[in-house]
Amino acid sequence: MYKLFFESFNRKVPLTAEEEKQIKQYLTPKKLRKKQYLLQEGDVCRSVAFVEKGALRAYSVDDKGGEHIIQFGLEGWTIADLFSFLTGEPATYNIDAIEDSELVLISKSAQEELLQRFPKYETFTRLNITGAYLAMQRRLTSIISFTLEERYTNFISLYPDIAQRVPQHMIASYMGLTPETLSRVRQKMIRR
Amino acid sequence: MQTKKTIAIIGATGNMGSALARSLSKGNYRLLLKGSQQDMLDALVQEIKANNDSADVEAATCPAEASWEADIIILAVPFAAEKEIAGRIKEVANQKIVISIANPFNESYDGLVTKPGTSAAGELQQLLPNSKIVKAFNTTFAADFLTPVIAGKQVDAFIAGNDDEAVATVSELVNAVGFNPVVAGDLSVSSTLESMQLLLIRLNIKYQYNWLAGWKILHH
Repeated sequence: MYKLFFESFNRKVPLTAEEEKQIKQYLTPKKLRKKQYLLQEGDVCRSVAFVEKGALRAYSVDDKGGEHIIQFGLEGWTIADLFSFLTGEPATYNIDAIEDSELVLISKSAQEELLQRFPKYETFTRLNITGAYLAMQRRLTSIISFTLEERYTNFISLYPDIAQRVPQHMIASYMGLTPETLSRVRQKMIRR
Repeated sequence: MQTKKTIAIIGATGNMGSALARSLSKGNYRLLLKGSQQDMLDALVQEIKANNDSADVEAATCPAEASWEADIIILAVPFAAEKEIAGRIKEVANQKIVISIANPFNESYDGLVTKPGTSAAGELQQLLPNSKIVKAFNTTFAADFLTPVIAGKQVDAFIAGNDDEAVATVSELVNAVGFNPVVAGDLSVSSTLESMQLLLIRLNIKYQYNWLAGWKILHH
């Protein structure tokens, strides 16, 4: 139920068995089936989700109903509407499951107590946020300065598992392209 | 838009469990029902779906699976069965809201089997130390769910719990099924709430309320 979570934790900051036991008390195990929402736009994001199994996506919806994927969350990743989680303001993202998933949720109040009680948890959180920030920078650089082909090559080399598991139209949405444009880019690369 | 919460009702084929399931199925909730008698459970699921196309309800395979998927768990089993169920759901109920509706009555309905000052909800909190136990729906009869307004008055439904956010969430549930939520205090108030239902049952028998009765606080 918490296997991957503690593996990830121990890789970043080794824990004693007792610390694991204590931290476990704050975690919420949650199963989500494919297409079910973890969060809908307008609600407050009350917890961050660590993905033990399965896959989720966070996306915004534009005025015309078009979906724009902000982030995928596969095994070992954390997904949330961080702005809403941190400020208590309504979420601007939707988060749903693209496969049957098993999650470890950390609620706002659990997060605050964990941060206070366990310096190791604070380190773990800092490393996670740093990692997410770097990924965001990479994504931004890719969008503003790479060609379409470079962006796609970059994406599949960074995240081969997402490219394998997630439908093409979602990858197109993540890259800010129409499925047709993505398809043309891929055809062009295959022909070479 | 509101994210749909998943509610597991353990003991869904009982009087109270089925009344809760029928009522909650009309709200923006996804219900996972578990009861000890599979045929009754299947019939209940079918009945709810037949009455309401948009009801999101299904029969669950076991209490632990249902509770793992759930955001909120309602234990609608008799007090005597709580300990066994608690043991089965303990791990997956971690940090979740668990609603205790049971009243620890003795067999002749003239007393409580819990010691004075203790309560069914308090004992459940000890069995599930990392869950957020909330006492609710224990001062209402099953028939009240169909008729939450009696003699022109909306029945009060009392809520007790230690976690403010959990109590607020349960108040929404109480509101959704048509009762007037009254937050009575922390979980220690449960013993009073459980005694209140004992009195209501005694009065119901004495004055033949026909199991359609409830509490109402009159105030200005």
